[in-house]
Amino acid sequence: MIELGLSLLIALVAFLITISAKDIVRLLIGLELMFGGVFLAIVPLFAKIPDTAFAILVVAIFTSSAELLILISAIVILDRLKKGIEIQKVSVGGDSD
Amino acid sequence: MDLNLLIPLIGALALSSAIGALLTRENFYSSLYMSLTMLFIAGIYAFYNLQPSVVLITLVFVGAVGVVTIAIAATYRAQNSRKISYFWAIIVALFSAILILQFPPPFGYGMLGNGIGFLNTYLMATLFLVALMILIMLSTIKILREVER
Repeated sequence: MIELGLSLLIALVAFLITISAKDIVRLLIGLELMFGGVFLAIVPLFAKIPDTAFAILVVAIFTSSAELLILISAIVILDRLKKGIEIQKVSVGGDSD
Repeated sequence: MDLNLLIPLIGALALSSAIGALLTRENFYSSLYMSLTMLFIAGIYAFYNLQPSVVLITLVFVGAVGVVTIAIAATYRAQNSRKISYFWAIIVALFSAILILQFPPPFGYGMLGNGIGFLNTYLMATLFLVALMILIMLSTIKILREVER
């Protein structure tokens, strides 16, 4: 189960990237790496229940891709509205000026 | 060469690329390192002969989302886009050390990949997922156009 340990290590590095981000692009990169850790955690499932594991992987890839594409659109919208993509420009809840 | 050594080797390369994404100052190089990490993760799937998973990760995740992220990172190139918290870095390093000591790597369990068969069986569900992505992106384009006005 080396993949499980490796996935945890990659998720931890992604966590460090996310909390050390000063702009939203770096935050996006950290989130994508986290999903990479998730994909790696699914590998051991293929040894026991391959069909279910593949179903989980397909759903995880499509939902995470859709989620990240929404975040990419949100970055573009934030840049147009706030003239910058720094973390400080994101207000709590995103509804105040 | 013992093929079982390939997994720790690819894993070490994936982890090194992830650390590279953390340490580099520019978003552009960070996104390149991130894509490299995802390709190494796909490489682990390839080692176990799970080709449909490799195709999905490489084409959908790296090919679509990763490339758009690289484009975004190349557009918004910040010189200093991260400030590493050393407190959290120490905690993560300690946790990683405990993890490595507690999980010695056992090798050699067989994988039973049948992805193409799954896609044939659940073709409708996969098509619905693709349709869901397209619908979400269409609504995003609509929001984007409203912001432009």
